[in-house]
Amino acid sequence: MVFAKPLAELIAQLERLPGVGPKSAQRLAFHILRMRDDDVRRLAIALTHAKESLRLCQQCQSVTEAEVCEICSDPRRNPVQICVVAEPRDIAAVERLNEFKGTYHVLHGLLNPLENVGPEQLKIRELLTRLRDTVEEVIIATNPTVEGDTTALYLARLIKPLGVTVTRLAHGMPVGGELDYADTATLLSALEYRREL
Amino acid sequence: MTEREPIRVSEMTLHDFRNYESETIHPAPGVNLICGENAQGKTNCLEAISLLSTGRLLRGSKDSLAIRHGATQARVSATLNPMGSALAVQLALGSRKKVLVNSVSLPRASDVIGRLPTICFSSQDLGIATGEPSERRHFLDTELAQIYPAYLRHLTIYRRALEQRNALLKQAQEGSFYPEAFEAWEDQMVEHGTEIRRIRQDWITWLNPVAQSAHQRLAPGEGFLLTYEPREQDLALALSSRREDLARGTTTCGPHRDELLIEVGGKAVRTFGSQGQQRTSVISLKLAVLESAREVFGFPPVLLLDDVFSDLDQNRRSALVSAALNEGGQVFLTCTEPGQVGGELLRSSTIFLVQSGRMGHHEATL
Repeated sequence: MVFAKPLAELIAQLERLPGVGPKSAQRLAFHILRMRDDDVRRLAIALTHAKESLRLCQQCQSVTEAEVCEICSDPRRNPVQICVVAEPRDIAAVERLNEFKGTYHVLHGLLNPLENVGPEQLKIRELLTRLRDTVEEVIIATNPTVEGDTTALYLARLIKPLGVTVTRLAHGMPVGGELDYADTATLLSALEYRREL
Repeated sequence: MTEREPIRVSEMTLHDFRNYESETIHPAPGVNLICGENAQGKTNCLEAISLLSTGRLLRGSKDSLAIRHGATQARVSATLNPMGSALAVQLALGSRKKVLVNSVSLPRASDVIGRLPTICFSSQDLGIATGEPSERRHFLDTELAQIYPAYLRHLTIYRRALEQRNALLKQAQEGSFYPEAFEAWEDQMVEHGTEIRRIRQDWITWLNPVAQSAHQRLAPGEGFLLTYEPREQDLALALSSRREDLARGTTTCGPHRDELLIEVGGKAVRTFGSQGQQRTSVISLKLAVLESAREVFGFPPVLLLDDVFSDLDQNRRSALVSAALNEGGQVFLTCTEPGQVGGELLRSSTIFLVQSGRMGHHEATL
C-alpha cells in the first residue's frame, strides 16, 4: 500500500525508534492521526522540549535539566560511595529502596564488541576523573549478564590499582522464590556465593 | 550410592508436534519398541522425549519446524513416575518456547535439565568416531550439559565471551585495536574455559576404564583408549599473546579447539580404524556414558535408541541389547522390523506400531 507522503514520513521516523518494527510504526502513526489536535501538539512539544532542555549531569552522566543533577548536588548524599549503573533508569530502581545514600555514575551501556561498544563508547573516563576526589567504594550494579559481568571485571581492573574498594552486587535466590522452580544459573551462583550464618 | 527408582515416562501426549496431530501413549516401565516404516514418525516420538529431557530438539533443529504444518503451536506433555509430576514443553510460532513443571513455567527452557535424564543413541553417533573434532566436542558438551548443569553455565558464558573476543579481533583487523578492551573478555574465557577443560578431563578419566571394559566385551584383545587433548597448556598465556589470533581474525586457542582422541589398538580410530572398529568404539563410549549418568543420578536414565540396529552385526547388537536390559531403566527403541531386535528383547518389549503420525499399541507379542 502507498501512503500519503506526510504519513509515510511519520511511519519512517517512528520505525527508527528501538523496538518499533514496521507494523508497530504503522499502528502508532494511525493512532496519532486519530488523536485530538492539541494532544498531538503536546506530544510534539514534549519531544522537542525534552531533547532541548535535558543534558547529561557533569558528574554522574545521568540525564538532568541542570548542569549537575539533583542527586549529585544534594549535600546529604555521601560522595565517597559511587554506585555504577548501565542506564539512567537503573538509578530509579536503586533509589526506590531509600537505602543507598551515596551517588551514582551512569555508563550508558555495557561493553559489547558485537554491537561495537568498547570502553571508548562508555562514560568510563568520566568515572575515573571522579575517582581523583576522595572515593572509598565503587559499587558496580550492572546486570548479571555476561556483558554486565565483563564490564564489572573491566572496571575492577582499572579502579582497584587506585586504592579504591570495588564491590559488585550479589547474585542469588530471588526472595520469596521457590527453590524447585529457580533457574539453574541463579541457583548455581547462589550456591557458589553462599554465606555463613 | 544406593539405587533410586528410575524416573520414567508413564504417559506422553503429543499435540501438533512434527507429524503427530494428537496422540497419547502409555509406555511400559521397561523396553518400548517403536516400529514402523520410514518417515512415519518413529524418530519424532523419541525427539519428543528428548525435548522434555533437555528443552531442545534433536540435532539443533529450529523450534518452529517442529510445529505440525498448519498449526500455530505444538505441545508435548508427559507424566513422570514415580513422583507423578507433569512436564510439558510448548512451542509456538512467534513466541518463546515454554517449559512447564506441574503447570509452573520455568525461567529458561534449559532449566528443565535433570528432571528426566535421558541418553540418546542414534546411527548418526557414528560421527563421534569418524567426524571432525567438532563432533567429538559436541558429544562432550551435550552429554556433560545433561549431567552437570554447572557445565552448561560455564559453556554458555565461555561461548559468549569468545564471540565478543572474536568481534574485537575483527575490529582490530579493520584498524581499531584497543589491547585493554581484550583483557576482561579473556579473563572470562580463562575462568570458564579452565572449568570446562577440568570437567571434560575428569569425565574422560572416569569414562576410560568403563569404556575399556565395554570395548573388551565387544572386541576382545583390542586395546581402547580415550585421551582428552587440550590445544594448549596455559590458556591465559595463549590468549594474551594474541599475535596469531589477530592475524587470523579469530580465536585459535581454548577448549573450543580441543580434541578427544579415540584410539583402538594404539591407532587413532578416526583415521586408521575399520568401519567395524569405529562402530565398536562409539558403542563402548556410549555404554560408558550410560554408566556415568547412572552413577551421577543414582538410577539408570531413560535410554533412547534411534534406529541403531540396521547397521550393526549380531555381536554388537546383542551387546547393546543386554546393556539396555541389564540397566533396568526405561528404554525407547525404534526399528523398521521387529525381527531385527531378536527374541530375548522382543519377549520383554511393549510394542507400538507407528503409521503416519498415529501410534497403535500392539497387543500380541510377535
